[in-house]
Amino acid sequence: MTAKAFLLKDKVALVAGDSQLWTKPVASALAGAGADIAIAAKSSPILAEAVEAVHKTGRKALALPLDVAKAAQVQKAVGQVIAEYGRLDILVNSGDIHFFKPFMKIKNAEWGKVMDTNFKSALNFCRAAARPMLKQKNGRIINIVSGLAERGLVNGSAYCVSMGGVLQLTRALALEWARKGITVNAIGTGWFTDPDKAMDETLARYIPVKRYGRPEEIGSLTVYLASEVTGFTTGQFMFVDGGLMAHA
Amino acid sequence: MNGGKGTLEGQVIIITGGGTGLGRSMAFRLAEEGADIVVAARRVPPLEETAAGVRQRGRKALAVSTDVTDTTQVNGLIEKTLAAMGHIDVLINNAGIVRGERPKALWEISDEDWRTGIDVNLSSAFYCSRAISKYFADRKRGKIILVASGEGFRGQRNSFMYNTAKAGVVNLTRVMALTLAEYNVRVNCIVPGFVDTYENQPEDYQKIMAERRAARKLFVPVGNPGKPDDIGYVALFLCSDASDYVTGGCFISDGGGLAGGFAITGYAPVVSLKEGRV
Ligand SMILES: NC(=O)c1ccc[n+]([C@@H]2O[C@H](COP(=O)([O-])OP(=O)(O)OC[C@H]3O[C@@H](n4cnc5c(N)ncnc54)[C@H](OP(=O)(O)O)[C@@H]3O)[C@@H](O)[C@H]2O)c1
Repeated sequence: MTAKAFLLKDKVALVAGDSQLWTKPVASALAGAGADIAIAAKSSPILAEAVEAVHKTGRKALALPLDVAKAAQVQKAVGQVIAEYGRLDILVNSGDIHFFKPFMKIKNAEWGKVMDTNFKSALNFCRAAARPMLKQKNGRIINIVSGLAERGLVNGSAYCVSMGGVLQLTRALALEWARKGITVNAIGTGWFTDPDKAMDETLARYIPVKRYGRPEEIGSLTVYLASEVTGFTTGQFMFVDGGLMAHA
Repeated sequence: MNGGKGTLEGQVIIITGGGTGLGRSMAFRLAEEGADIVVAARRVPPLEETAAGVRQRGRKALAVSTDVTDTTQVNGLIEKTLAAMGHIDVLINNAGIVRGERPKALWEISDEDWRTGIDVNLSSAFYCSRAISKYFADRKRGKIILVASGEGFRGQRNSFMYNTAKAGVVNLTRVMALTLAEYNVRVNCIVPGFVDTYENQPEDYQKIMAERRAARKLFVPVGNPGKPDDIGYVALFLCSDASDYVTGGCFISDGGGLAGGFAITGYAPVVSLKEGRV
């Protein structure tokens, strides 16, 4: 249940980026709080699943299959959101491809793919979505990144760099748009259950609360940051990580 | 907005420093979501005003005069709350002396100045959290919220006790979060930026600050100081089950201040070195 103050009645949210984990729970949480939703990502079963999850809440859903790395396609998708809903209040960048390999073995194409999915996607969507938001003088941009935007990890160079880029984009844009009614914040994720992967028990024990996060647990912080009452919060990085970032 | 189901229905929440400013906003925003509220500070009249506001919103309220730097009184606060309300779900350590320090040269700060500053702004949160920790651990649930400050993340000329204590609050949050995680107790920290609560400050202080108050907001990237509700709603998020997987975290609401700080922001007027603390 969402607290009254955080409800997103009459808001339009765009959930953008290719992600196995976040697209569906984030779209369904925002819709559950009352927003109409557009979902822009590469064509995949996830798109249809997310649309279905939104419909279950009774809100409208618009699927926009595209290549997130192509600025022109992203621009066009935002245009479709405006054409369909007449406005855009909330952008959630949730692009997240996992990639871990020794630095010296990473191929150029692999770097490119990680940067496209995790960083360039956010860049393209921020650019495109800011136009209507700046016109409205109101907007919420929420970038879902990993705690690895701030910490390092062996074999994580490409991933850490791509996520770190989004975090710094968050801080810089927050200041640039501070007096234009747009807040820009980042959510840092810890380790989450992934239906496609075997979960490592040792890692679960490393997490202070001794369990992996459930993807839907990202949804409630997204809703909070998307709500009207967080206008004084901008340029910040907050974590849903079961206490990981408090560790030594 | 009387009664009605809220997300905090049936919860009992203690707010130290709940008579004024941010604490009062927290009390009202939490009561509107169904929580019963206990406010604790030294002066009774402001506490009673907050309590009346909570009751107007259809919830139970209790005002307990408490000096949070006195461990006997702190323990008494927990006992009195349990006796009156039956249980406790959240403790919010909000009491502090936000603008108590007058600019003073380092060599003029007395032992007593130092101890008082650290006691009120840091030790008090430790005392209250310690007093409730066993109860929360036994119950295998609970939330503790601390209130630091943007100043706990950065330095500031001539602000020794406050900045040091608030930095301590941040790390106390992390240590308690790690320690209490296995008991299903969540510990997080609210970090307000500049929120205008000047009317609650001593009169002589208001006079000193009257001019600077106008200039001060220019420092805030979003162009205005925060309102107490900007922080009240952070407390609401952290009290609710929306944040159940969140612990050891800092929730900064500061109009963008901490996102910058590498160069003159373009928003901030440059203050002369002589002026000291602004
Ligand atoms: N306003 C801001 O810009 C800002 C920014 C960053 C952080 N903060 C933090 O936010 C919290 C609330 O500040 P505020 O702005 O709301 O200021 P405020 O209105 O002065 O509230 C502080 C409260 O703390 C209580 N208090 C002080 N010493 C106490 C003691 N020894 N025992 C019990 N209670 C005590 C005071 O009540 P009594 O005097 O009656 O005891 C007062 O109600 C503080 O921790 C402050 O450091 C505020």
